[in-house]
Amino acid sequence: MKRQRFSTVVGVFMIALFALAAVFYTGDVAEAAGEINLMTWGGDFIPRAIISEFEAETGIKVNYKEVTSNEDMQSLLEANPGQYDLAVVTDYMVDILRQTDMLAVLDKDQLPNYANINPVYHGAYYDPTDEYSIPYAVSISLLLVNPDGVKALGANPITSYHDLWQKELVNNVVIVDWSVEVIGVVLKSLGYDYNETDPVKVAEAREKLFAFKPNIMRFETNTPEDSLVNGEAVAGFMYSNQAVKGVQARADLAPVFPTEGVPIFIDSWVMSKEAPNKEGAYQFLNFIMRPEVAARIADLTKFTSPNKAAEEFLPEDFKNNPMLNLADEVLENASFYIGVDRVLDEYEHIYLEFKLR
Amino acid sequence: MQTLKRNILAVPILVWIGLLVGIPLIFVFVLSFLSRDSLGTIVFQFTLQNYQRVFSPIYLRVFLNSLLLAFLTGLVTMIVGYPVAYITANLSTKKRALSIGLIMLPFWISSLLRTYGWMILLGNSGIVNNVFLGLGLIDRPLSMMYKFGTTLIGTAYMLIPFMIVAIFNSVDKLDRSLLEASYDLGANKRQTFFNITLPLTIPGVAGGFTLVFIPALGMFYVSDLLGGGNTIFLGNLINTQVTRGRNRPLAAAFSVAMILVVLVVISVYSRVAKDDREGLFL
Repeated sequence: MKRQRFSTVVGVFMIALFALAAVFYTGDVAEAAGEINLMTWGGDFIPRAIISEFEAETGIKVNYKEVTSNEDMQSLLEANPGQYDLAVVTDYMVDILRQTDMLAVLDKDQLPNYANINPVYHGAYYDPTDEYSIPYAVSISLLLVNPDGVKALGANPITSYHDLWQKELVNNVVIVDWSVEVIGVVLKSLGYDYNETDPVKVAEAREKLFAFKPNIMRFETNTPEDSLVNGEAVAGFMYSNQAVKGVQARADLAPVFPTEGVPIFIDSWVMSKEAPNKEGAYQFLNFIMRPEVAARIADLTKFTSPNKAAEEFLPEDFKNNPMLNLADEVLENASFYIGVDRVLDEYEHIYLEFKLR
Repeated sequence: MQTLKRNILAVPILVWIGLLVGIPLIFVFVLSFLSRDSLGTIVFQFTLQNYQRVFSPIYLRVFLNSLLLAFLTGLVTMIVGYPVAYITANLSTKKRALSIGLIMLPFWISSLLRTYGWMILLGNSGIVNNVFLGLGLIDRPLSMMYKFGTTLIGTAYMLIPFMIVAIFNSVDKLDRSLLEASYDLGANKRQTFFNITLPLTIPGVAGGFTLVFIPALGMFYVSDLLGGGNTIFLGNLINTQVTRGRNRPLAAAFSVAMILVVLVVISVYSRVAKDDREGLFL
């Protein structure tokens, strides 16, 4: 009896070892030819349907690693630069990875479809010479508002960030949970720029931020639109793809482009300097920049496509959606979160004080 | 030689722990003394700055917040868990297995999913509010979400099985003849419970408390989801510093400080359970 139990334990241990070995083994195989490894956010950020088509057409297998943040991708890439071919990261992370020398210079001769990219996205701050990145998904943050709910609380209609401070809105605002973005809302409401470093302006923003606390019902980065859909909140500051989902779920919700301007994000493809299969990676990038493929990606992910040639392939409801087909005056009034590294420590500290209030 | 032979079987587990626990711990400890540049890259330069920040007043409040949550979680699980454990230990063998099985059953489901379950229950348009509204008990939804109390419900719910099992083991081991002696000497059920059963099961309660208290310090996703991110606990702080704050050395310093807190808790536990020969995990 005892002996039997012992052999069971040994058996289990051996199985565990083999399982572990198997896990590590597939990690190595991934570097073989005929496969590419890409990483980015999960969900269906790169639609599986599109990936399957690429695999069927080229015979190249795509391994998609789901990662939760830009910073996680940075650490993974730094730890194992030779394990990944491609990644999609947000603009500011392109800037960081470029400066830390993690990225390959893209050979445009191998990317004929790069010509489809809208020239307005050329020469952005994070890649002034367009050598390292290809824009993939454009999004903004904006306000999603329940106009009837706002009226019912006795508040004035919301057209600007500043309107969120109305005392009638107590415990009725949902907002994404990051110091730079929340303080950005405050700075904009005061008429300043994102990531302000002037101590006088920052001190002013700090006071106004503290005054915001009673109105915030919830900090939520992943599904803030839910709070408007289920009626917990009447206004929210969130990413455009979330606001699109909110309006789909509940037609009486309305997007508001605040008069002070909105933040813009450009999630972009980058290639690891030590990418094991650059050839395959170029084929993949070319594939997703085909106009009809880019249009389908935009429709599936609900992100604005930077692909100019894709526009004619977009469905009508996408073209008519002001959150997806961004108007020129919205784009003119949009700005990046530039220079996060200069302010992050201080903003995190202010944000902590704010949360502990 | 004799002991070596006897301990040879322990070698795999020691190697295992050394590789997967020891090395990462050393890594975290070393990291906590390093600096980083503004892009988040680690710089190999010794500094005590991270620890200076850990002990600044604002961060101490985060510690107090977390200790309060963990303590209350321990208290709630103890009050709710003791009767469950006591009754379970006094069931027939078959029913007892069923009861323990049911207590463990939630572990088969992802804890994140179960946290979302609470949101569906307690939300403004959630099940509880809908039932109350339907019965006419309230005329406006009660707002139960995104508060300290909601976080407490979440952590207590997640961790209560540990408390129940720890107390169950200790009630189960109770020498029944002591109870019989107590009754023979004229004590009633209540007196027996408070004078015999409870004192003898204190080590189990202390063990359960430790098993609940320690993870409650670090469950950041519960307070993010149920607490709506409205306040900051240690787990949240470490999580944000690693991810969005790009400050891994500071996160490491907080982790070391958290480990110290845990060590204090364990040393208190081992003092309480000094005469009890069974360890935490029986």
